[in-house]
Amino acid sequence: MKGMWYLWNKSRLILIMFACLVFLSGCWSSRELDELGIAVALGMDKTEEETYALTVQIINPSEIAAEKATTRPPVTLYKAEGETLFEAFRKMTKTAPRKIYVSQLRLVVIGQSLAEEGVLPALDLLYRDPEFRTSFFMTIAKNASVEDILSVITPYEKIPANKIMETLTAAQENWAATEGVYIDQVISDIRSTGKSPVMTGILMKGKEDIGNSIKNIEYLDAPTRLEIDHLSVFKDDRMLGWLNEAESKGYNYIAGNVKSTLINFPCKEEGSGRIGVELLRTNASMDAKMKKGKPVISVDIEAEGNVGEVECQIDLSKPETLQMIAQKTEGDIKDKIQASIKAAQEVYESDIFGFGNAVSRKAPNYWKKVEKDWDAHFVDTEVKINTKVNIRRKGTNVQPVQKEG
Amino acid sequence: MRRGKKKTTIDDIQLDSTLSKLIDGSLEVNLTVIKKILGDASDLVIRRMTLNNSNNLKGAVLYIDGLVDKTSVQDFILEVMMVEVPPEKISLAHVYEEIKNSALPIGEITETNKLDDLLLRLLSGETLVLVDKETQALSASTKGWKDRGVQETTSESVIRGPKESFTETLRTNTALVRRKIKDPNLRIDAKKIGNMTVTDVAVLYIEGTADESVVKELHARLDKIDIDGVLESGYIEEFIEDPPYSPFPKVYYTERPDSIAGGLLEGKVAIITDGTPNVLLVPALFVNFMQSSEDYYQRYDIGTFIRLLRLFSFVIALFMPSLYIAITTFHQEMIPAPLLINLAAQREGVPFPAFVEAVLMEATFEILREAGVRLPKAVGSAVSIVGALVLGESAVQAGLVSPAMVIVVAITAISSFVFPSYNMAIPVRMLRFSLMILAATFGLYGIILGLIALVLHLCSLQSFGVPYMSPFAPLVPKDQKDVLVRFPHWGLLSRPSATSHKNEKRTNGRNQSKGGSK
Repeated sequence: MKGMWYLWNKSRLILIMFACLVFLSGCWSSRELDELGIAVALGMDKTEEETYALTVQIINPSEIAAEKATTRPPVTLYKAEGETLFEAFRKMTKTAPRKIYVSQLRLVVIGQSLAEEGVLPALDLLYRDPEFRTSFFMTIAKNASVEDILSVITPYEKIPANKIMETLTAAQENWAATEGVYIDQVISDIRSTGKSPVMTGILMKGKEDIGNSIKNIEYLDAPTRLEIDHLSVFKDDRMLGWLNEAESKGYNYIAGNVKSTLINFPCKEEGSGRIGVELLRTNASMDAKMKKGKPVISVDIEAEGNVGEVECQIDLSKPETLQMIAQKTEGDIKDKIQASIKAAQEVYESDIFGFGNAVSRKAPNYWKKVEKDWDAHFVDTEVKINTKVNIRRKGTNVQPVQKEG
Repeated sequence: MRRGKKKTTIDDIQLDSTLSKLIDGSLEVNLTVIKKILGDASDLVIRRMTLNNSNNLKGAVLYIDGLVDKTSVQDFILEVMMVEVPPEKISLAHVYEEIKNSALPIGEITETNKLDDLLLRLLSGETLVLVDKETQALSASTKGWKDRGVQETTSESVIRGPKESFTETLRTNTALVRRKIKDPNLRIDAKKIGNMTVTDVAVLYIEGTADESVVKELHARLDKIDIDGVLESGYIEEFIEDPPYSPFPKVYYTERPDSIAGGLLEGKVAIITDGTPNVLLVPALFVNFMQSSEDYYQRYDIGTFIRLLRLFSFVIALFMPSLYIAITTFHQEMIPAPLLINLAAQREGVPFPAFVEAVLMEATFEILREAGVRLPKAVGSAVSIVGALVLGESAVQAGLVSPAMVIVVAITAISSFVFPSYNMAIPVRMLRFSLMILAATFGLYGIILGLIALVLHLCSLQSFGVPYMSPFAPLVPKDQKDVLVRFPHWGLLSRPSATSHKNEKRTNGRNQSKGGSK
């Protein structure tokens, strides 16, 4: 028997048979793209019966990529309740036609009641399940239920979750009163004794009843809108309340999150007209020192700005004027920082700035003593604020347009 | 052979016993035998003549019509034999000697007394001169037939560089190489392979530069070939290839004389086969198939860029469809969200899994390509219309495949045309399908398994004792100058050590300062 088979000796045959075994596993865990329910936003809250209410926003790919306008909504909402989040997830298959695929999650919205009760237990699933990527923003539903917020159909951006994520990023980069927080940061802040977490809030504005209908985007000015609001203050994993805009900005200055923002102040003590300064770069550093057995925190902010808008008659060619503008800008930054520290120390008694971490690095021995009840010490910790602003440019116009002569 | 009477009839001759026989003393017997062996071939021309009238000495000129240059047969053989020899000044005994020594003004004259040798020469296009009562015969080289001439290469065109290509005639081809390398050490060894075709084969190498063991091994392997016919160099390639069970080519072939000359200068050995313009070159390394002779003609930076581009397209041609399958069916988390949504939208309503979709499109493309290669030029455009429009456009519109898959298959197809060597594109085409199966079964994990197996296989290959993946595995740092990148010519001071152990220096050392002064 010469020929091809002659060449295949026994061991080779056995090897090939083993190689074939491998293929018996079939296409295990393979999923076609059209079998996936791609979830972009996830909402969690507690119901009155103490169960988890899970809301998932799933995209409808053919509507989003459609070349022609359709009348079907680009996303769909599925809801389920369960004793645990995982149970709720699996129960969702009772209503959803496809298995929920969460890798592309952009946004998690936490209901206010769950936030006030403590978010940590609910975060375990999001952190443990391998399918979750940790690149989604954590937010809090401020004035509406999670479900209502996730069912708003947004104009301009077809996927509401994307809209929120992009608004959040844009606002963070250009306005600096919000902060997009990822889950790993939330968890590490909660578990850290020297820092408490903050999360951005989402607000629903306008008529609530139109928001979840495609009608919402048929108007030029959408009746229901989603807005990114200021920061919520947490202590451990429980939400205590909200910072206002100035306090939120103050927080971001300290945290070094300010990339660019706008500051404005009146030209003179009395009279109308304001000056707007565009901050381009800020550099924040935080340090702790021990003074008489007590920690003193110093916060240094260095910023660079442009004169963006001048509404009054001042002589911008004089260096004194620029110096005045720089000083007033420094004052404004300082005010906001002080306001945020005041809110954290007096209202919420929660160290959202991470002063505790700074102390632990500089004075580890002292830290060991106060670690257990740091928040009590935090309340009356002295904070020194140094700000330094350089005004670099004045734009294309040397003098204000109103200036005579 | 019996020789009972003076007149021997054709029927009396036993064919099987005559083939290895010597030439008979009788012209008639010889002519009869030749005619009988050739089966009274219609293209066999036998011109009988009387060489010495008084003695009635007969002679004959034989040739195969079409294989000889008629004018030289006419002018230098027939005329000499019939006009100059007959005057009776030559004594009878010296007629043959006279013809042999001074009558035939032809460069190459051989004398033989073996019948089979005579027949082979006749069938190769030589003209036989037979004289009665002589047991020797003359054969004059009058080969001359219609051939294609040296034309522009069609399969390996370049923008800059010589345009000539090898032809079907062995002698022309050896001349093309000789014209490029005037070194006296260039050796051209002749061989004949094929029991029936008796194809002329020439082995070319530069003595002192080529590895002797490779030359010796090649000769040994060529001598071992036992086959009835060699119609193309592919026959020889399969016999001399190292491990026959591998899809990767271990013998390089080209129809460009400059590529062959370049290979010879690197210490390689070329095999020219008569009847085909494709010349073989051994040892062939993996990287040789990624290089084109034009790399050396263009500036070195362009050459380097093009080489990197080819490597990139090799990866695309091999892995693109399988990566697409693996990522879209197993690792959706790796796709950026907007792209995923886009892809998912395209897949809505496609009835097949991504794997089936890919196999369908790839198979379609392979069929189209094969059809395009074989079709007459006039019908070719029809195929491209059907292929591009009907299969590409309509398959998407009918919802059978997703547009993204068409793009993937298209870029894969284009990439597979980037290799200068067609025979490297073939294993890539075949392995692509196995990788697609692995990708559909295990995702990226399967692709990595396939890649590991592929690398192991490639590293285990050898071509005439040279590791196939050299100079990467084993790593030869000094040879890297002419692999992925190409150094300027003044920087290419040594020959690749994989193929040339001796005579490593390319230069006499005069221009070595160029690199330093830069």
